[in-house]
This record gives sequence, structure tokens and C-alpha cells, in this order.
Amino acid sequence: MSTRVTLAVASFVVLIVHGIVFYDQFFNRWEKHQTAYFEQARSLAKTDAERRALDQRSPRIEQIIVTQFGESRVDRCTTCHVASDDPRFQNHAQPLRTHPYSAALGDVQVNGRWERRHKFTDFGCTICHDGQGRGLESFYAHGEDIFWPDPMLGYVTQASWHTEFRPKLTGKEYMQANCAQCHTEDNFAGTPLVQRGRQLFFEKACYGCHRIEGLSNGTLGPDLSDVGKKYKINYLWEHTVNPRAFQPTSFMPKFDLSDEEIKALTVFLKSRRGINFAETALGQYRARLQQVKAEGAKQETSAMPSAMRGEQLIGERSCTACHRLGEKDGHIAPDLSYEGLIRDEDWMMAHFREPKSKIPDSIMPVFGFADADFRSISAYLKTRSTPPPFKTAEEIYKGLCARCHGEKGDGKGVTYLYLDPAPRDLTKASFMNSKPEERFLQSLKNGVPGTSMPPWERVLTDEQRRTVLTYVFETFVKEPRGQLKERKVPDKNPVAFNVDSIHRGEEIFLNRCTGCHGRKADGKGPNSLDISPRPRNLRNSFFINNVPDKRLFDSILYGVQGTAMPSWIDYGLTQNDAGDLINFIRSLNSQTALPGGEKSPTLTSQANLSQTNQEVPCLNKGNDKCK
Amino acid sequence: MSSQTKTRNPLIALPENIWRSIFRNPLPSSDLGRASTSFTNFFLHLHPVKVHRNSLRATFTLGLGLMAFFLFMILVVTGILLMFYYVPSTTQAYDRMLDLRGTVAFGIFLRNMHRWSAHGMVAVVFLHMCRVFLTGSYKPPREFNWVLGVLLLLVTLFLSFTGYLLPWDQLAFWAITVGTSIASYAPIVGKEVKFLLLGDSTVGQEALLRFYVLHVAVLPAVLSLLVAIHFWRIRKDGGLSRPEEEDALPADVPAPTQVEVVQGPAVVMATSPAAAAAAQPVLEKRHYGIQGLVRGPFTKIGNVPDRSVFAWPNLFMAELVVFLITVAGVLLVSLFFNAPLEEPVNVMHPPNPAKAPWYFLGLQEQVSYSAFWGGVGIPTIEVLLLFLVPYLDRKIAGVGRWFARERLLANFLFLTFVIVNVVLIIIGTFFRGPNWEFVSPW
Repeated sequence: MSTRVTLAVASFVVLIVHGIVFYDQFFNRWEKHQTAYFEQARSLAKTDAERRALDQRSPRIEQIIVTQFGESRVDRCTTCHVASDDPRFQNHAQPLRTHPYSAALGDVQVNGRWERRHKFTDFGCTICHDGQGRGLESFYAHGEDIFWPDPMLGYVTQASWHTEFRPKLTGKEYMQANCAQCHTEDNFAGTPLVQRGRQLFFEKACYGCHRIEGLSNGTLGPDLSDVGKKYKINYLWEHTVNPRAFQPTSFMPKFDLSDEEIKALTVFLKSRRGINFAETALGQYRARLQQVKAEGAKQETSAMPSAMRGEQLIGERSCTACHRLGEKDGHIAPDLSYEGLIRDEDWMMAHFREPKSKIPDSIMPVFGFADADFRSISAYLKTRSTPPPFKTAEEIYKGLCARCHGEKGDGKGVTYLYLDPAPRDLTKASFMNSKPEERFLQSLKNGVPGTSMPPWERVLTDEQRRTVLTYVFETFVKEPRGQLKERKVPDKNPVAFNVDSIHRGEEIFLNRCTGCHGRKADGKGPNSLDISPRPRNLRNSFFINNVPDKRLFDSILYGVQGTAMPSWIDYGLTQNDAGDLINFIRSLNSQTALPGGEKSPTLTSQANLSQTNQEVPCLNKGNDKCK
Repeated sequence: MSSQTKTRNPLIALPENIWRSIFRNPLPSSDLGRASTSFTNFFLHLHPVKVHRNSLRATFTLGLGLMAFFLFMILVVTGILLMFYYVPSTTQAYDRMLDLRGTVAFGIFLRNMHRWSAHGMVAVVFLHMCRVFLTGSYKPPREFNWVLGVLLLLVTLFLSFTGYLLPWDQLAFWAITVGTSIASYAPIVGKEVKFLLLGDSTVGQEALLRFYVLHVAVLPAVLSLLVAIHFWRIRKDGGLSRPEEEDALPADVPAPTQVEVVQGPAVVMATSPAAAAAAQPVLEKRHYGIQGLVRGPFTKIGNVPDRSVFAWPNLFMAELVVFLITVAGVLLVSLFFNAPLEEPVNVMHPPNPAKAPWYFLGLQEQVSYSAFWGGVGIPTIEVLLLFLVPYLDRKIAGVGRWFARERLLANFLFLTFVIVNVVLIIIGTFFRGPNWEFVSPW
């Protein structure tokens, strides 16, 4: 009995589902639209022939296959929008409305009849509108499905988009991004937003970090050449407004942009879809052969360099998106508020032209500003020469040091992730108490060359620097300083600086040091990621050339307390070995010819190094071996 | 009767003649008729003529094995129809999915049916394995059929996994990327296995083609062959398992139904001493019928009191019920839920988290603790143990009953294995968010 009931129920379900599925299949919404169109067209028809022709037609799937522009497209939009090319339906409701004619689109009136410039049979629909040409249900065809990457530009927003931004993402003007796929001219009248966006891309210094094929060569941020293909406009908008909205790890600064500017940037970015329809692969290749010049360089200013112009430029070019200057702070790069007291003009100019030439591991991009602009900025920065008003040591620390070294002195200030080498952890008593006070005072006074620690000599008085150091020891180090052990280290390297010694040093280095300092001695060995503070980049010439032999001997033989550098004397290294090592390290950073006639210090490994570590960019441009 | 046929007009008799030529028997009204209906029909003769009552108890089998088979049939039919539209090309596959969803007649419904049947088959095959274990049905003489069953589970998983890539959307691409990198954690051969599967170092055109060929040709053929052997072994191993008492209770068993087809005395290898004694006189005659050539515990003919019933109509009706329930279930699910189709593949933009197909999420969850042990070590041990179960557990007791007391330890261990894996899958599916961190689904 129960078997029969089950059988009956199951059969019933099978039958019902079949019914529903067949009904769905044979009574489509688009058929209703087409039937409605035929009826209305009949009533509008003027001749019998027209009517007869309409009678012949029965609902069917209409499609336009476009093969001329990029990948071939199948647009079935006209299945529902069957009246899109019928001028009599201009006042009907969608989907049976005529696509508007517009002179702006290049349509022309001939004998009172409009003719389209962009014929639907040639272009299809999705080439301008986006959306999913293959779909026959509006939900999918218009791109409302959250998984569809190209919803109809400016018309359709998807449910998953941030509700706050959704209203801002509608409007015909977004379609300019698609116009620009063919109309690539810089001054094309139909794409003002794309041009404004491109202008902003350079004005706001985006090009410094981002590469766009044919426009810019930044390497710090992602390549944006086909960003319009990869991301929807909601992503482009939100990422510009708040870079950490989608990528919590992004260190792209927040720029101060108006909605109008963000819209222009969004449209411009949406227009970057890799190869555009107007280009052939050959054309692309030719363009690539030509040297790409950063367009920023084109913006020559005729004005004479002046501090006033410099202040203006700093605002326009978004320097404070990373740097701090007075009240504005991008939380990424060093404070420029007292730059006039810290650096001189030569330093600034050299640093502008190539930041790595002064701080080898700096992440600051090379901006292709005009020289006059750089001079203006330098001139302005020179005027930032009022010493800070801070009085107590605590105020000085909070005002000047904490931004990098952290409020707690743990070396984790807001900027610490972006500085290389990282700011010193001042709470590590083992380090702080193993170094003589003079060294800290020295660092405070002259800065640490080749790093972001600036010389405070002219910003703070001797007395202030001393009180800050006392403050650091009292507040962060806490442990009392004992008597420093006197160590037997030579003041000057007793081992002669020659090819043999360098060879021996290299051998020891390759055996003992590469795990942390790396085969290129750039501090990026395989273990370096697990070590804090990170191993020293031994190719940072500014740093190495400024460190006396005595300190190198001390660090190698007796280790650096509070870091991963061990005391190598315990591992069987003699003073002479250390001398060889020091000669090797010095040779990496030396600018002069070697005694013995050999220019490049040896380095059997040098060849190997460049082979094995090719992907590691040469960070030390100041070094002759990098050239 | 023959004279009647002669006099009839051949045109009038045409339908009946055609029918008779196809179906040799009229609807049976006698036991002989029932028997011959079974073995004169190609499809029905795969079944035994008589089947034990226990095999028909819905609460014993739950119809899971049949359900898995019918799901496979649905998959074959819908899969072949889908093959008419599908192109295994990275540039076309996704467009074909869009066409199936939007334009092709019944396209989306076919895809839904195929997708949900595939998921269903993985689940049902696994449940079938649980049923067989918990009723102790892998015990001798059915050890090898259990091994075949485990093989079938693996092939089913692999079939479902290879099919997962074919839509070529983000879901597919990253699931297969995750799945194949789990395989690469295997020592020594891991990297090679991954390369062999993908034909490349990453998922791409080569991988798509390989997965396609595996999915539509190789694996279905392997699965069909294994299923055939699996079915054949069921009959050769004496039908489905049942409690021993069911065979040895002559008192309340009605006299065996007379079978009229007797061609010489049948020789029986009896399992119980009583049956052996009963068979003794027959053996003395020393000449053998066709059944005498084969060994093993076969359907006993005539000389053992049994509780079997004719396959027609009992077994066939039960099969029809399972078939209809399966089809109805698949149709209903396919009506209400669309098969997922996410963004087109974007190699540069992995979803976070990228998840494997749900049946591998337990593995992925384990991998998040230890790549080698979670992804390779433990699964290998588990599969090996599954294969070895009938050879490790040799005690013949508690066969043919759910949760037999004699099998407390075995069932406890097996249920632990099942629950741990199910919990891991649930955690992996619902409780893991970006960066595989714990999130609450509520």
C-alpha cells in the first residue's frame, strides 16, 4: 500500500515538474515582447505589404554576431529590444523603445530620416553598453547577476555593491569608458571624463606607482593596463576612495579627491582594458618598441622656480598622500615639516631625480616632474626651517620620533612598514644597553646615512638631543645601563685591502652569511623574513662607507645584541677572517679601483649572483656594480 | 490457440505480434511465468529470479545503492545532452555555459540536473558505504565487493572533481587549483601527479582538455565497468547480506515454491551444516548440473527452506519506487536551485578564500593544519584502511543487521571516521572565511 502511495506521489512530482519546465521553455518573456511589437507595428503600418511582412514573422531569438572588434561577441539584446532600430517607437516603454538618435553619437539626418553612425548590425550592443549579450532574461542580460563582470555601464548596479556608492555609479557618462575603446584620441570630444581622469592620473601622481601600458612605468603598485577588464566600476570607485576597503594590506595612500574627480578616475580606469578595439596587435607591438616616457615630464612649467609655486605643487601632486607636512599626513613616508633644517638642496634634488640614490632601499617612486618643478618644491621645502616648538623631551619624542619609532618606542610607528631599514625598536634593552651612548648621540645628530633616520643637528639643540636620549632610556629601555665591556677590536682593519683578501672574505661570506644577508649581500637572504630587525643590507654604500672598521669588527666578532647577528668568534672566526670579510664588504661598496689593478672586485660569484638572483632588482643604484 | 492465430488477419494481429516478438512472455500469472519473465528479458535477467525478503526491506538497504546507480544513469543521459553544446576550450567554455543558461532549450534545467545529481551521487555513494559498513555486509564472502565499492567511491569523487572544472568560471578554476595543489603535497610523486593532471604547471587549456576527456570518456567507462562487476558480484556472493537466522528458520517458513525448471539434480555448496546434510544424497549421484560447476553460496534451489520471493513483481516494483523517488528528487531540486555560474576565470584575482568542491573541503580543512598530513598522509591512511576493512575485521557475526551489538567496536570506529570527516566538511564549508579564518555563518 505504502509502495503505491510513494509511487503515485513520485510520479505526480515528476509530472508536475515536467509541466513547469515545459511551460517555462515554451512561454518566454521575450516572445511576449515580440508579439506585442508585431501587433503595434501592424497598427502603425501604412501599407498592406508591410502588414503582410509582419504577418510572416513569428517570435524567434534575434542575434547580432560582431567579429570586427576584439573577441567576437554574440548580442541577443534585440530579441527583447526588437524595436531598437524602428524610429516609430520613440515614445514607447522599454523594452520596445527606439534607441535614441543623437548627433553626438555621429548619427545624421538624411531627408528627414536618421541614419546611425554606429549601426547595430556592425557594432552590436554590448560594445558600448556592456551587459551580457548572450542572456535572454533581463536579470542576466543586463548584468544584474552579481557574478557578471560587466553590468550595463551607468545603468545597472549589482546587489553586492556598497549601497553608499551605488547611486554614484549610475549615469550615461560612465559609457565614455567604452567609447574610449575605439576613440583613443587624447582630445576626443565624446570622452571628457576619460581625459579628465587621465589628467588626474598624472596630476595626482598615480603614475609614480602604477604602470599603464604606453602611459607610465611605475612599479610600486599593480599594473593598471587592463584594470578596466579586471574590475567592476564599484571596485574602481571604492578602491580609489579607500584603498583598504577591498585589500586590507594595500598601502596605497588615501587621496583627497572630490566625487567628480573620483568619477573621472573611475571612468578613465574602466577604459583601460589592455588592447583596445582600435589597436591591432601589430600596432601594440610598435607602440611598445617606442620608449615610454612618463607623461608627467611633459607638464613643463614655464614659471620660474619659486617657493610659492613649490607649495602649490606639493598640494597638486599629492605629496602629502604619503608624506607629512604640517597638518597633512599620509602616514607612509617621512615628515617633511622641518625638511629645510634636515636636508640641503643638492640632497633634495638628487633624491627627487632618483630617491634610491640617497636611500638605497627607499620605496619612493621616481616622479618625472620637470626640473623647474623639482626646484620649486626644493625651494619651498627650504623654507620649512622653523625649529619645532616642543619643549619637554616627551613632546619632542611624540612630535618627531614617534611617527617612525612608535608611541611605545617599539619601532612600530605608523610608517614603519614602509621604511627599509625599519626604525629601531627602542624597547630592546639588550641592544640599547650594549652600545655606547656616543653612538646614539651620533645617530641623533648626523642621522644614519642611507636610511630614513634624518640628521637632527639643526632641528634640535645638543641639549634637546641629550634629553630625548635620556627620555628614551628612562621610558622605553627601562633596564639600567651597566658598564660596557671593553672588547679587543682593532680600530683599523689590519688586513691589507687586496684581491686575495677579498677572495677569502667572499668565501667566508658565502659559507656563513648568505642565509640571512643573502647571496647578493642585500640583506634579503632566505632567513631574513623571520628575523626582526631585518639583516643589514651590506650594499647600502651610504651606510657601510660611514661605519668605521671598529664597529664592523665589533659586530662580526661579538655579534649585535638584541638582533639575530651572532657572535662569530664563538663559531671559530678569527680576527683575520673578520678582516677579510670587512674587505669583501668594503669592496662591494667601493667606488675606487682596487690595488692590484683589478677594477671590479673579483667575485667569481658576481657572475653567478647575477644569474641566480636575476629577479631581485638592483636596489643600490649608487653602487657601480649595479650599472 | 495455434489454430486461432493462423486464422487471424496478420494486419490485425500486427501490434500483438510485434509486442510478442519483443516481450516473449505475457504478463505472468504463475510462478513459472514470473521466473521466465525475469530471465527472458535482457534488463530483468540481470536480476535473480528470486530474491530474499530481507533484500527488499526498505529499512535495511534504504535503496542507497540503487539510488546511486540511477543518479549515474541520470548523469549519463543529461551529460550526453550537455556534450552537444559544450566545447572544452578556455575561450568558449564559459560562453557555452551562458548559452546553456539563456538560450538552449532546457539548457539550464539539464545543467541543474547534471550538477545536482553529481553532488547527490557523491553523497549517496558515501551513505551507501555507511549502510554497508553499519550492517556488516562486507564480511565474507563479500569482501571483494566492498573493495570494489571503495574503488567506486574514489572514481565517483574523481568524476565529480573533473566535472567541476568544465564550466570554466572562477568557482571551477580555483576549486581545481586548490584541489590539485592538495595532490601535489604527496611526497616524491606529488608534483608529477599534479603535472600529469594539469598538463601544465597551472590550470589552463591543457588541464581543461584533460579533465574533459577524463570526465566524459575515461572515468564513466571505468565506473560502468566497476559497477557491472559490483552488480555481478552481488549475485555471485549470494545476494544482499542478511542475518544468518533468516536462512535457518525452517519452522515458520512456508514450503519452498515449486520451481518447475529442473534439469538434473543441482549441486549446492552449502554454508550451513544442515544444508550440507540435505545436499549429501544429491552429491552421491556424481553427475553435475550447470550449477555444479560454480562454487560459492548461491541461490539454493528447492532443497533449503528460504524466505525468498519472486523478483517479478516484488524487486522490480521496489526498484521502480527508488527510481521514481530519485528522479523526482533531482527534478525538484533542479527546479528550485540553479547550478552556480560565477565570474569568468580571472587568473590574477583569486577569491578569498578559494575553496575546493564541498566533498574535498574536509581535506582542505585538514590541509590548513598540515599540508602533508592533512592533504596526503591522513587521507591515504583512511583510504587504505577502508580497502582493508574486510581483511582486518574477520569475525563473522552481526552480519545483515543495523548496528549489531557484536560489532560495537567496528561501528564505533567507523562512525567516528564518518563524523570527523563530516564535521570537517561542515567547518570547511560554512565556518571558513577570508584567509581560512574562522567565521560564523550567522
